[in-house]
Amino acid sequence: MLLEATGLDKQFNGVYALKQMGLSLKAGEIHGLVGENGAGKSTLIKILGGVYGADSGEICWEGKPLSGRLEAAQSRALGIRILYQENMLVPAFSGVENIWLGRPYPTKNGRILWDVMRQEAETKAAELGIEVNLQAPVMELRPPQKKCVEILRAILGECRLLILDEPTASLSDRETAMLFDVMKRLAAKGTAILYVSHRLEEVLSLTHRITVLRNGETAAVLDTKDATKELLIGHMSGMLTRQPEREPKRQEEGGRNTAKETCRREARPLEVRALSSRDGIVKNVSLTAPAGQITGIFGLCGSGRTELLECIYGCRRIKSGEVVLNGRGIKKSSPSKAVENGMAFICEDRRGKALINGGSLFDNMVLASIGRFSRRGRFLTGEAAAAAEKMQEFLKIKCMGLSQPVEELSGGNQQKAVFARALLTEPSVWLCDEPTQAVDVASRKEIHRLLQAEAKKGCAVVFVSSDLTEILEIADEVAVMAAGTIVARLKNSRLSPKEVLALCYGTEEGRKAV
Amino acid sequence: MRGRSLKNYGTIAAFFAILAVFGCLRPASFLTMKNFLNLTRQMAPLALVALGATFVMTINEFDLSVGSSVSLGGVLAALLSIRGVPVAACFLAAVAACLLVGWVNGFLVARFKILSFITTLGLGTVLDGVIYGLTGGTTVFNGIPKAFTLPGSLRIAGIPFITLAAAGLYLAAYAFMGHTPAGRRLYAVGGNVEAARIAGIRIFSCRLLAFSLCAAVAGLAGALVASRVGSANTTAGQGYFLQAYAAVFIGCTVSKSGVPCVGGTLIGAAVLAVLANGLTILLIPSFLQNILTGGIIILAVIVQKIGAKE
Repeated sequence: MLLEATGLDKQFNGVYALKQMGLSLKAGEIHGLVGENGAGKSTLIKILGGVYGADSGEICWEGKPLSGRLEAAQSRALGIRILYQENMLVPAFSGVENIWLGRPYPTKNGRILWDVMRQEAETKAAELGIEVNLQAPVMELRPPQKKCVEILRAILGECRLLILDEPTASLSDRETAMLFDVMKRLAAKGTAILYVSHRLEEVLSLTHRITVLRNGETAAVLDTKDATKELLIGHMSGMLTRQPEREPKRQEEGGRNTAKETCRREARPLEVRALSSRDGIVKNVSLTAPAGQITGIFGLCGSGRTELLECIYGCRRIKSGEVVLNGRGIKKSSPSKAVENGMAFICEDRRGKALINGGSLFDNMVLASIGRFSRRGRFLTGEAAAAAEKMQEFLKIKCMGLSQPVEELSGGNQQKAVFARALLTEPSVWLCDEPTQAVDVASRKEIHRLLQAEAKKGCAVVFVSSDLTEILEIADEVAVMAAGTIVARLKNSRLSPKEVLALCYGTEEGRKAV
Repeated sequence: MRGRSLKNYGTIAAFFAILAVFGCLRPASFLTMKNFLNLTRQMAPLALVALGATFVMTINEFDLSVGSSVSLGGVLAALLSIRGVPVAACFLAAVAACLLVGWVNGFLVARFKILSFITTLGLGTVLDGVIYGLTGGTTVFNGIPKAFTLPGSLRIAGIPFITLAAAGLYLAAYAFMGHTPAGRRLYAVGGNVEAARIAGIRIFSCRLLAFSLCAAVAGLAGALVASRVGSANTTAGQGYFLQAYAAVFIGCTVSKSGVPCVGGTLIGAAVLAVLANGLTILLIPSFLQNILTGGIIILAVIVQKIGAKE
C-alpha cells in the first residue's frame, strides 16, 4: 500500500466531519472517492494535504506510520499533489510561471532562465496533449484551461499521489476524455490517483476501486468491476433500495398541460434576436426559450455558451441584436435591469461571482432582494430573515443557522444558497450556467426538480451544462452551440448523446470525433 | 445563530483595561466628568473622519484624500466666514464642496475602474494644491468672526456641541449601514463586487455614495476643528488621515467577520483618543506616545488574526 489511513477522526465545533474513517491507496491505482454533501470528502483531502490535522488516527506511507500531524510541507515532500475544486493560480502570472510556482526557478547568475521554464512546461504539456497558451496570463484562460495548467503544475515535479477534487466540473466531454487519458498515463507510471467526483459514470468508467463515504465514515470500499451506479448511490445514502438517480424524462406530457392552468406567474418567454457580443465570442445567436419549458444549451468548452448567457443578462457588452422579454425589447441591459425584469442568473463561477465569501448565509441569500425587503428606505431585517428561513427549509440547506458564514457550507449547500437568492427575487426567466457543478447527487437532483417546478409554474428556464447526460435528462429542447453560435435546435425525444456530439464536432472538428 | 467569539470582545476589553490603568494611575484628573467631556470633544473630529473612512473601507476601497478633505472643509469654512457668510452657510458650503470632491473620487474609481489608491492619491494632491492656493500656505485666522467659533465652543447642558454632532452622526450612520437598503448594498459590494453586480446591485452608485459620504463627513470634521480652534491650517487634515484609518482597522477587530463597522470604528477612535488623553495626563513625552499607540494598533490586529485561526 502506498498510503493507508485508519481510524481518522476530525471534529469541527463538536460535529464529526470524519469518524473512524479509513482509506487505502495502492501505487498505480485510480481510486474513486464518492459521497454526498458533507460526507467528509473535502475534509479528508485537506488532511492528506496537511491543511488540517486529524484529531486522531494513523496515516501510513509505504507501510511506515507518519509520526504526528501531517504538515503541508511534509505532504508535498512525500509527493502528494492536490487539485482543489477551485483553482489555485496566480491570475496575473503566465501559465508557465504558475506551473513552476512553489519550485525553485532555474537560474543562471541569479537571472531566471525563462526559456528553460517555458520549454519544460511545454514539453510536459505536449506529452499530455494539452493545448493551452502557456505564455498568456492565466486570468485570460477559461476554467478548463486553468485546470490543465494546474494539472501540469501538479505533475511537473515528483508526484506519487495525485488528488483531484471534482476536476471535470466545468470540462466538456472531450476535455474530460483528455483528462482521463492523462490520468491513465500517470497511473501506468505508478502514480496513485484519488479521484473525487459526483459524476458516478466517470468514477465507474475510470477507477479501479471506489471508497464510498457517508457522514464521515467509510461506508464501503468496492472493486469498480463489481460496482454499479445504483449500488454506489445506495451506499452513499445509506439506503440500498433508493431509486436510480436518472429518471426517465418526458414522462408526463399530460401533466404539463394541466400545469399550465395552475401557472402562477405571468408567462414571459425569452427571445434573443441575432445577438452578437462586442468581443466577437457570441456570433449572431437567435434563440427562443418558451415559458414553461427547460431549454438546454449544450456546447463544448469555448463554444460561447457562458458568454451568451452573460450577454442576455447584461454583464457582457452587446454589439448588435436584441434581447426580448415577453415581446418587449430590453435597451441598454445591465444585471440590475435584468433582475428587475425578472431574470435570475446562476453563474458558473460560484466562488468568484456568486458568493460573498466572508458573508453569512443570510447576507448571501438576500443579496439580490435588498430592495424588495425595504420599505421607505428601511431594510426590514425581520421580514428578510423570515423569508430566508422559509427558503432555507424549502431547499433543505444544511447549516447551523442563517448567520453561519457561507464558506463553511459544502458545495451543494452553497449552490442551494445561490438558488435561494434567485428564488427570493421571484424570477420568470432562469439562466443557469452549470448549475449543478460540484454538487452532490442528492442536491443535483433537487436542483433539477426545482427547475422543473419553476418551468411548470410558467418560467422560461435556460440550462447550460457541459454534461450532456444531464442536459438530455432534464431539457425539453436542446440548442447546440458551436463556435459562438447555435448550430441546431432539437426536441429532446429519443435524442442520443451521439447525435448531439456529432453536431458539436461537426463544425469544429470535421466529425472525426464521432 | 452563533454568538461572537472572544476575539470580538478583545478590543473592547482592552479599551476598558486602558481606562482602568489610567483611572488607577491618575484618578483625580482622569476619572472626572470634566475630563470625560473634554475627551469626547477632542475625539469627535477623529471619530468623524474615521466614520467617513469606514464607508469607503466597507466597499473595500481606500480614500487617501480624506486628510485633504478635512483641510479643505476647515479652510473653506473659515475663509467664507471672514467674508461675512453666515456660519451655517459656511458649514454647508464646506460640506457640499467636500461632497463634490468625494463624488469625483467615486466617479473616477467607478467609471474608469482605476484603483482607488491611485485615484484618491492623485485627487488628494490636487486638493492640497488648491488649498495652498486659497491660503497661500499660511494659517487662516485673521478676521474670523466670533460667531464662527460658536459651534466649536458651544455646550448644550454642559455637553460640547461637537460631541453631540458626532454622536448624532454615528447614530445615523449606524442605522444607515445596518437598516437601509443602501447600507446593506455597500456591505455587499465590499464582500464581493462581482457577486453584487450579478445580483443586480448598481456598483456605480454604491461607489459614488461611499466616496461622497466619506469626503462630506471629513469636510464637516474639518470645519468643526476650524471652529473649535478659531483658525484653519493648510495641513490640518494630515494628522487625522492615518489616525482615522488606524481607528477603522482597530474597529474591524470588533466585527464578527472582520469587516469595518460603525460601532467598531467608534471604539477604535475611542481607544486612540483615550490613549492620547491619558498619556498626556501622565506627562509621557509625545515620541513615546507615538510608539505606544502604534504598538497597540499592531497588537490589536495580531490578536484578531490569531483569534481568526481558531
